[in-house]
Amino acid sequence: MEIELKLFATLGRHLPAAARRNAVHIDIPADSTAYDVIDANGIDREEAFMVVRNGVFRPPEQRAREPLREGDVLAIWPPVAGG
Amino acid sequence: MMTMNDETLLRYSRQIMLPQIDVAGQQRLFDARVLIIGVGGLGSPVALYLAGCGVGEIHLADPDRVDSSNLPRQIAHVADAVGESKVASARRRMRALNPDVTVRTRAETLRGQALEEAVAGVDLVLDCTDNLEARKSINRACFAAGKPLVSAAAIRWEGQISVFDARLPDCPCYECLYGALGGVADTCSENGVMGPVVGMLGCMQASEAVKLLCGVGEPLAGRLLLIDALAMRTQEVRLPRDPDCPVCGKARGL
Repeated sequence: MEIELKLFATLGRHLPAAARRNAVHIDIPADSTAYDVIDANGIDREEAFMVVRNGVFRPPEQRAREPLREGDVLAIWPPVAGG
Repeated sequence: MMTMNDETLLRYSRQIMLPQIDVAGQQRLFDARVLIIGVGGLGSPVALYLAGCGVGEIHLADPDRVDSSNLPRQIAHVADAVGESKVASARRRMRALNPDVTVRTRAETLRGQALEEAVAGVDLVLDCTDNLEARKSINRACFAAGKPLVSAAAIRWEGQISVFDARLPDCPCYECLYGALGGVADTCSENGVMGPVVGMLGCMQASEAVKLLCGVGEPLAGRLLLIDALAMRTQEVRLPRDPDCPVCGKARGL
């Protein structure tokens, strides 16, 4: 199935060559979770801090459990605590 | 205590003109007490704008002294203030901008009971700190005291902002979002930060604070705004409350 993966800020370096700007459509096995996608793209789970599925923040336990669906948009941001 | 006379009406006329503020809103700002924790890149514009807007009593807390490497972004501090405590330096600039504002300062890291008391003594808290540990403890203190918290963070060219409002029944808190991050997040001193980017986030915090104090508009409660300034893209994310959150969820106090 196909989903759209968007990587923001410093995570952009993990985007595959087919990416346009910060987004790429990728084929993933059915029932893949967010962590499956994160791991498959070489992104450190700690660095993939803000995981957003279709505009809603997903906490870590859901990233391991919740299967993604065809057409989902998965957006990922690194942590930010500076000021 | 600030009161409304011809001079103050003139001074604040451009914001009193806004139907959401009006004279009643201005009076609410005059009567308000806020706590700004951290007077660096975020806290500088927050402190100056809230002083400029006429927020009556502003409490500042920061243990640091002004360093020359702060000056490109921490706009409350001028070159002459290098070596001075940040709270004293910011207070001087705020009072120069608006002598009617009362500024109380604490040149220390607020922890434990001191933090709880400082939070309990104000109407609203602005988290302008630079580390995860402080952010988590401020969030806990705000939820324990039932005070709204305007929280922002920035690093490199990135920033994020949200409002965690303990007065709202379903509002998530900072712990719902960052509780899982046990390690140390990147710091500006190690990774760099662009001054106007952190300034943008501080201005947004000041704007959210004015809305909350006046009870107008739609504050960012339950939403997180993420900004990638290098690409100048923003994303709004819905933040559901974590029902098992130890700070704001069912499990609290257990």
